[in-house]
Amino acid sequence: MSQFTKKWVENLSTEVGRKRYRLYVESWEKKIGSFLDFRSENSSHNEGKLKGLPFGVKDNIATRGFKVTCGSKMLENLLSPYTATAVEKLIDAGAYVVGKTNLDEFGMGSSTDNSALQQTNNPWDINRVSGGSSGGSAAAVAAGLVPFALGTDTGGSVRQPASFCGVYGLKPTYGTVSRFGLTAYASSLEVIGVLSKDIDLTEQVYNTIKGEDPKDQTSIKPEVPTKTKGPFTIAVLDNISDLDPLVQKAYDKTIVSLEALGHTVVKVQLPTLEYVVPAYYTIATAEASANLARYTGIRYGLQPLYSENPDDLVQKSRSEGFGDEVKLRILLGTYVLRSGFQDQYYHRAQKIRTAIRNDLDRIFKDVDMLMTPTFPTPAFSRDEKSLTQFQQKVADKFTCTANLAGVPALNVPTIVENNLPVGMQFIAPVFEEPRLFEIARSLKDVFPIQDVPGYSEDWS
Amino acid sequence: MYESFVGLEIHIHLLADSKMFCSCKAQYGDEENTNVCPVCLGYPGVLPTANEKALELAYTVAEALNCELSPRTTFERKNYFYPDMPKNYQISQFEHPVGKNGWVEIEVNGEKKKIRIHDVHLEEDAGKMIHAGDVSLIDYNRAGYPLLEIVTEPDLVRGEDAEIYLKNFQRLVRYLGVSDGNMEEGSLRCDANVSINLEGQGLGRKVEIKNLNSSRFVKLALNYEIDRQSLLLDEGKIVSQETRLWNENRDITTVMRSKEQALDYRYFPEPDLPPFCPSDDFLQKVKDRQVELPLYRKDRFIKEYQLTEDQTEFIIDDKAVADYFEQVISLGVPTDMVATWLSGDVQKELNKNNMKLLESPLSPERFAELLKYLDEDRIHGKLAKQTLSAVFDENKSPGDIIAEKGWEQISNADQVQTLIEQVLADNQSVVDAIKSGDDRQRGYLMGQIMKKTNGRINPQIAQKVLSEKLG
Repeated sequence: MSQFTKKWVENLSTEVGRKRYRLYVESWEKKIGSFLDFRSENSSHNEGKLKGLPFGVKDNIATRGFKVTCGSKMLENLLSPYTATAVEKLIDAGAYVVGKTNLDEFGMGSSTDNSALQQTNNPWDINRVSGGSSGGSAAAVAAGLVPFALGTDTGGSVRQPASFCGVYGLKPTYGTVSRFGLTAYASSLEVIGVLSKDIDLTEQVYNTIKGEDPKDQTSIKPEVPTKTKGPFTIAVLDNISDLDPLVQKAYDKTIVSLEALGHTVVKVQLPTLEYVVPAYYTIATAEASANLARYTGIRYGLQPLYSENPDDLVQKSRSEGFGDEVKLRILLGTYVLRSGFQDQYYHRAQKIRTAIRNDLDRIFKDVDMLMTPTFPTPAFSRDEKSLTQFQQKVADKFTCTANLAGVPALNVPTIVENNLPVGMQFIAPVFEEPRLFEIARSLKDVFPIQDVPGYSEDWS
Repeated sequence: MYESFVGLEIHIHLLADSKMFCSCKAQYGDEENTNVCPVCLGYPGVLPTANEKALELAYTVAEALNCELSPRTTFERKNYFYPDMPKNYQISQFEHPVGKNGWVEIEVNGEKKKIRIHDVHLEEDAGKMIHAGDVSLIDYNRAGYPLLEIVTEPDLVRGEDAEIYLKNFQRLVRYLGVSDGNMEEGSLRCDANVSINLEGQGLGRKVEIKNLNSSRFVKLALNYEIDRQSLLLDEGKIVSQETRLWNENRDITTVMRSKEQALDYRYFPEPDLPPFCPSDDFLQKVKDRQVELPLYRKDRFIKEYQLTEDQTEFIIDDKAVADYFEQVISLGVPTDMVATWLSGDVQKELNKNNMKLLESPLSPERFAELLKYLDEDRIHGKLAKQTLSAVFDENKSPGDIIAEKGWEQISNADQVQTLIEQVLADNQSVVDAIKSGDDRQRGYLMGQIMKKTNGRINPQIAQKVLSEKLG
């Protein structure tokens, strides 16, 4: 058990500690609004490696006894009738759910400003976004409200907010963590991920939640990793442009540090990178258009007071229940799947996806992992300097690559300047998560994890 | 003259115990919304898991229909809106169905005809809407029921062909034990495609008739539609490509939607289900499930057992009955006797007791024993019927019943001789009357003989001896 984890369990073991914890969370929540629902009581008494650890669950992951709003008006009042496999495994290992964290509606967004229910602020600077879509989980972890939280990552939704909030964020190999209980946005891309300030705990949580699940036929038993110890050969992109100066600085500094630590850095080309975003949005929205078709107001969810007929019922409930970004993606997905359009969009996107996979395979023949910035900018603010929705999408190219290829990727926090953390993304071949944890550990001395101003380890 | 082309799409509920993508019970007629769970109700976050038993039954049908079996079968999402379809897409098969390019034979007017099968694919059923006054209710018990769709090529000609194909198909799925094929309960449903064209011109413009729920309606609807289209062409008009419904109250088809309103299903691969690749073990199970199909069994029965067409039809209709028949035959009883009794008195007893042959006290061994008593003249027909009834009432073997009741026939020549002499002596006046020409009294004597033996005397032998005595 790491020092970090030990402190959490110890501090929560006394009545005084628990009271201080509640007060600490309350005061932070007034500023950042990371939780949609928070209950401090320990609801699990199982023995296990994670005994006594509270954790947050992104509110698109089913947890019995809690709502599963997905940050949407559509599901604002839906109580989840069952628990997701990943959450179940953590509870079995002794951890307990303290709350559900805020997110961009149905996981669609890069800021958590697309939540229909609440605004979440970045704990480093409350005028900035916490990132998205797992912004609530990232903010809660950064502020020390939970030792770890689950997020979901479809195109970078764990890694990007982790980068914005200065914490670790792991997107595992597709299929190694069961998706049962994860509200589907884009099934073939998304996976449940882990956010924490502690790399050992991140690894431990991943090891707890991974594994084949009979309730998810796309889940797989992870293969034994081949190389888990450094020094590593790390690929970086040959010509990278349009980075925010702070991110560029962090990127350069990380490369220098990696070499200083004895790793080998080589430059590679990733010609498919430019096609990542269009391919991602085509596939993700196509799947979303089917996945979100179930929200009709007929069985659950927002229902209009009055409707003339089934069509009217569905129309009203969707019109009132879905936010603009969700509507946009459903429409886009419906469009790209239209008969006669599939070859032009959906099938072409699938071909690009294969090309991306091949591109990465080619690179991984010679190197152990690939490093890129997680996002071209640090956390953006809500003023006029903010990125437009379109700019936010274009900026997803580094993270989406891993989702399209199904490979694991980790955000590792690096420098913090002017209260703005910047993270770097490490991408490994499938099942090689241990390499990612190792590289994070190796960088810990150069870039120690920094605490948000106001952070307190013992809630004093 | 016109040529007509008919293709059928048959949906059957598979007898797979649980639903296609979750473990809920697949059962008809339970209380509304009792066989449901988050998966079949499409709750946020749930995932489908493919039912391997349903896959096995699907492959079984594909194999029986001589299809090419898919070594890697995949699922797709078929997107369309229907209030009782929880996910608003149906998980179905498109690119790689379990089987394709098959064929099956049917017999039309004594002639065998090959009907090509386009494909056999799996999907899930929707729920059921119940409209009550100005509210509509939904029962999701049926939602997710494993459904197999069998699509033919347009090889059928008229409604009569389709009716025969459908009945034959119903028998086939029951033989394979994959479905109860019950149209009234909705476990076998049918859509039909029909087009007509001038002879030699190939397919015409296709009209689809949806939701035909009896084989009679299939015949009526298709023939109505063929005639309707012929009239249109006669008048120089064009048949419009559309989907129609059969109105069973007015015996006509009506427009449901036109080509302009046609649905765009936006098929794409179901990302929640990996492709299914049947293992050797799986394919062996599918092979083991194959049985002699009804049409071939019928041919063989007629040839091998020299039965009539009607008798054979009766026996082979139910595989269990046909198997039973062959079992009794194998015990060495004359085939015509088995066939006659099976379709006659045994059926009467079954109806009376409201039983199925296999669950009745009349095991093949008991039935064979009974018929052997009859065949060997140890009992006569009337007693055999009595014994049959007793088997049903008392659940004992015919041998035991006959022995207990002393029903065994008196066929011993000496015994019969003595008995008859006695009766003649007791009825001298009647004998005299017969001898002087009053033949009507013979019956009375016969009655007396039967009475004396409690009906046990072999009537043929008795008649013979009596004739000899009376000259």
